[in-house]
Amino acid sequence: MRDVAIIGVGMIPFGRRDQDSLVDMLAYASLKALDDAQLGDKAVDAVYVANMGGGILQHQTAIASALVDRLSLLPAAADTVENGPASGASAVKNGVLAVASGYYDVVLVAGGEKMREVSGWRATDFVATLTHPEVEYPYGITLPGMAGMFTRLYMEKYGLTREMLTAVAIKNQTVGTLNPYAHVTMAITKEGILESPHSVVNNPIIADPLHLYDACPISDGAAAVLLCPLEMAKKLTKHTPVVIAGFGQATDTHTLQEREDPTDLKAVTLAAQQAFTMAGIGPEDIDVAELHDAFTILEVAESEHVGFFKKGEGGKAALAGRTKLGGEIPINVSGGLKARGHPVGATGVAQVVDITWQLRHELPEGRQVLGATYGLTVNFGGFGNNVLSLILKRSA
Amino acid sequence: MSEIKITGYKCKACGRVHYPKHEQCLTCKGRDFEPLTPDGNARLLAYTQIFNLPWGFDERFLIIGVGEFENGIKAMGQIKADSLDKIKTGMELKPSWEPVRHQYGEPVYGLKFKPLE
Repeated sequence: MRDVAIIGVGMIPFGRRDQDSLVDMLAYASLKALDDAQLGDKAVDAVYVANMGGGILQHQTAIASALVDRLSLLPAAADTVENGPASGASAVKNGVLAVASGYYDVVLVAGGEKMREVSGWRATDFVATLTHPEVEYPYGITLPGMAGMFTRLYMEKYGLTREMLTAVAIKNQTVGTLNPYAHVTMAITKEGILESPHSVVNNPIIADPLHLYDACPISDGAAAVLLCPLEMAKKLTKHTPVVIAGFGQATDTHTLQEREDPTDLKAVTLAAQQAFTMAGIGPEDIDVAELHDAFTILEVAESEHVGFFKKGEGGKAALAGRTKLGGEIPINVSGGLKARGHPVGATGVAQVVDITWQLRHELPEGRQVLGATYGLTVNFGGFGNNVLSLILKRSA
Repeated sequence: MSEIKITGYKCKACGRVHYPKHEQCLTCKGRDFEPLTPDGNARLLAYTQIFNLPWGFDERFLIIGVGEFENGIKAMGQIKADSLDKIKTGMELKPSWEPVRHQYGEPVYGLKFKPLE
């Protein structure tokens, strides 16, 4: 197996992009990655496109075929990867395997989603199609609803509080104001969303006990990375190469109710463990992490399940500022899904783009983790039934 | 009230109860199952009240929970309550089989739980 490097990255600002089609967004992000790589006359051998909802929301399928045509990358191989909200990291993983195996040399991975052209009512229903079609979906359960049930169980078992979740929301939206790619660039305060009488109106319950500011926005957006063998990257790129040091993926039961302990996100633990084993490091070696905070509870729970904190300690750590920039393990210095946004197919790729910028030491003060060598991502599919973790390393 | 049309599956090899159906047991990979119907009342394991509903629902909110029946079947259902004020994890629930939504003008039947004081 060959070492695989990220030779180029690109992202377009997330948010509401009424003027752009899904393929427009994928193409713009891909061109940025191609330009960043300075590929010269090297051909792109294969393209993997992460997208969850093209068939439902845009009535468009075969998105990868459309993208290679739009970019005139013919006759590159092209595959669309649909793995729910974990589509992005799944596509990256498939790209890494293709390069590592020696079959392809240059692989473009792009992830994108266009969710704002339908009503919130429809977008919520679209995401809920990943629940079990017979024993969950008919009841009107939503992903916020799944997260709400999970949060209450976590509160009952570990004493997690709203104040702890609020600390995550404030942290991520504060740093999001510094991210030009973020959908939400509005700072929030504890008084405004938790303590003042107005907080009931400012921050209503969406899925008890979760409130509006516990949830990510519904976003349009796209991100892309270009992969090649490390040895080729050293010759081609002006950047310090960033390598995929490890990856892992695991699944769990489709329904939360069939898990022996529904607060135990086994797939997160297993995916991270696989990635750590492959990279030959442990959680203590990670300098910066992008965790899948579609809801504040998920950042807390994932920070525990990947091994940064003991079970039940993640909320306390967030409240104590241990996960802020400058803390012992900065989490979601991009603003995370909470502020950057969550165009579902784009998210796993965007996490890799943000970690690559961190490991190249290219971000401005206020966002850059000084001296970062290792970064970790968690891309959380379903409600924890299909999870990927990637570990990236700044190549010496 | 019509019968509750849920079938659980108890692995004949190890006894694990499954709902929904799996072709192989989650614990031992066994393929022989004894069909089970829900037995008696249920105990509330988890719940939430959702205010941002998906397409297809006109209600102002839904209260949804997971109940565990006396024979081990765990199933999601809608909870018949006006608020969460009297809802508690571990409380007893009386199940029923009623319309839980409408699609294309037709009722879709499913599990509902009435909280018992």
